[in-house]
Amino acid sequence: MAGDIPSQSDRERLTAALSRVAAGERAALREVHDLTAAKLFGVCLRISHDREAAEDILQDVYLKVWNRAGRFDAARASPITWLCAIARNTAIDWRRANGGPTLVSDDHAAEIADDRATAPERIEAMQERARIFHCLDSLELRQGGAIRSAFFDGLTYVQLAERMKVPLGTMKSWVRRGLLQLRECLGDG
Amino acid sequence: MAEPLTREQDMLAAELALGLLEGEERTGALRLVLADPAFAAAVDAWRARLDPLCDDFAEATPPDLWPAIEARLAAQGNGDTVRQLRFWRWSAIGSGAVAASLAAAMLLLPGPDPVTVVREVVRAPDQVAVAQLGGEAGALLAANYDPGEGTLRIRAIDMPQSELAPELWVIPADGVPRSLGLVGASGTTRVAVPARLRALIIDGATLAITMEPVAGAPHAAPSSAPVAAGKISKI
Repeated sequence: MAGDIPSQSDRERLTAALSRVAAGERAALREVHDLTAAKLFGVCLRISHDREAAEDILQDVYLKVWNRAGRFDAARASPITWLCAIARNTAIDWRRANGGPTLVSDDHAAEIADDRATAPERIEAMQERARIFHCLDSLELRQGGAIRSAFFDGLTYVQLAERMKVPLGTMKSWVRRGLLQLRECLGDG
Repeated sequence: MAEPLTREQDMLAAELALGLLEGEERTGALRLVLADPAFAAAVDAWRARLDPLCDDFAEATPPDLWPAIEARLAAQGNGDTVRQLRFWRWSAIGSGAVAASLAAAMLLLPGPDPVTVVREVVRAPDQVAVAQLGGEAGALLAANYDPGEGTLRIRAIDMPQSELAPELWVIPADGVPRSLGLVGASGTTRVAVPARLRALIIDGATLAITMEPVAGAPHAAPSSAPVAAGKISKI
């Protein structure tokens, strides 16, 4: 399998390492760290917009992994998704607690478009790729874009409205409509 | 099963999961997670839907943080016993055998006075209410209530490192958290429950811990998600 989709063996290796972390094996945490630090640092950095903070957040993330590994359920999520979610939530908590930069520079707007543009390149990996991407791509551009920016840049409603230069109420209704369509597309509720 | 959520509540769950909220809206939603299991489940469901997007985060090379992580792990100290206990907790939760298992849990508690606790449980089985408070970040506390004295003993077994202080809340059936004040991040804290709140410390009510600034405590409402929560069981 090409691209940055982890191969089956990476996934198995990470799952096995997490179960050893759950059993209290410190060397296994190091293995998880070595396998995932670049990915999780990417998450922390993008959301915190602050390199020093991202380093602190990343440390917190691995301590959480140490404490929570017993709750990882390989039947419910891929290990890297589970780890990324911990990183993202930790980074968002940090941002909400520390204010974070309210104004986002314009080139971030370009990044949103990039996320979308690169999607087709991975189409060969589509079977590996979660259905949420397909659903997100099916949304109206500005709805999908707002949801992407919230997810990947950790932006709040207020920040999204500022960036896209629309009233807060408009932004809320875009995002809510997008979320409802997402839920429908995913067909689970 | 709880009542199904309204569309509005489900949207709020999605907004919290996505991270769109800030300030009072975020605080309000976090408070709802604490008070309403159906809402908490909706937040989890939205996280499960959205989390696979993580695939698209680009990698970035960090400096080698492993030595720092390892040092913090070592500082956590006596991890193994606590982890064993945590294992027990996650596997026992929802099993319906919680009350029966609590005595066993107390036997496992590390530290100087587990024997005292067990004796008390045996001596007055119909008067002592207990709760175990656990959370996602690995926080673990044991609570023990003596209705005669109106005293809650909160034993911090494992708490995350924080500049903030743990604040104890009781959440009765109405879902509104009432502060019982700050408790220690380690050791046992004796909390004298104010007379007006004693009626709330009953079977099925929730005890929760949030991390709060010391200034202004006890606070009118929690400002963040609980690091630990557990239901009170009379044994």
